[in-house]
Amino acid sequence: MIESQDRVEQFRAEIAEMKLRDPATSRERLWLGIGVALMVIGAGLGLASYLISHQSTSPLVQNDAVTLGLAGIVCAVIGAALFLRYSLASFLRFWLARLIYEQKAQTDRLLEK
Amino acid sequence: MTTTDGVWSDAIGEPAETLLELRGVRAAYDGIDVLYGVDLVVPRGSVVALLGPNGAGKTTTLRVASGLHTPSAGDVIVAGRRVNGARPEDLARHGFCLVPEGRGIFPNLSVRENLRMMTYSGRTFRHVEDVTMERFPRLRDRRSQVAGTLSGGEQQMLAMARGLATEPALLLLDELSMGLAPIIVEELYEIVAQIARDGVSILVVEQFARTVLGAADYAAIMVHGRIAKVGSPDELEAELSTAYLGA
Repeated sequence: MIESQDRVEQFRAEIAEMKLRDPATSRERLWLGIGVALMVIGAGLGLASYLISHQSTSPLVQNDAVTLGLAGIVCAVIGAALFLRYSLASFLRFWLARLIYEQKAQTDRLLEK
Repeated sequence: MTTTDGVWSDAIGEPAETLLELRGVRAAYDGIDVLYGVDLVVPRGSVVALLGPNGAGKTTTLRVASGLHTPSAGDVIVAGRRVNGARPEDLARHGFCLVPEGRGIFPNLSVRENLRMMTYSGRTFRHVEDVTMERFPRLRDRRSQVAGTLSGGEQQMLAMARGLATEPALLLLDELSMGLAPIIVEELYEIVAQIARDGVSILVVEQFARTVLGAADYAAIMVHGRIAKVGSPDELEAELSTAYLGA
């Protein structure tokens, strides 16, 4: 079989240099985004419930506004929890990597002395 | 090493180099498993035929290999690198080409316009056209014709031409023979054999197996989302009916 050697070598080199996303990272980003969106929605619902209750004297409408406000709080709490969970995970991962790197550098320094 | 790995090494020996390898690949659609640990090897410069009945998971295997579908487990290794999560357009740009089932041409555009769409890869239109006309002289007279009005064989040639324009190192062909007369299929597989002789590694998926076996170096039979048998085309030809019918 005749092979186009150069083409395959070029292909190999290009694949080796390709930047790859880790599917797990993109999932984490998605959850982080959902967390932020829920917090924004929660704040929006809070504002909307205030405006609705402020513009009416009817207790029925005001009860609806209270319900909407509570839903906003739930959204914001869940969003904040998601945001904290996934932003802390990436921060702690970075912190751990830094700690390991610093320990290794420290050991290298001690060995050099 | 898994059992299927063993089957592959028994069938093809230890290849010096593999351009595509799937290791224990599992895949699912909406939580329903379709592939149950597929192991597949495409050695450099060879033609591998993946055969199997309808619904065996052949197309999903190609979709996973080309990055169109993310596997739920296992590794996709291209040119020695694990590429799970790679974007299909990136793989295609570097020379990993999939000619999909149903041809994947633009039926409302002319042949020339279809070819022009391949200039995204950085090749000039003249280069794309030259490569196409050299490989498929029959398309020369059809340049201005709307692709949807070409015969089935010519449409398949155009689909292959679009793939070859990127000068692929690895070519994946899905159901080349679908809806085509046997004589046309034979003609297309002669072209596939010629492409392979030029050094392109090829993985062909086919439901109707006899013609592809003539052009393949190795073959594998897939049934119910698993590789059931691997061997030389001659060895597998005799076992096709048994494997398909599950006897």
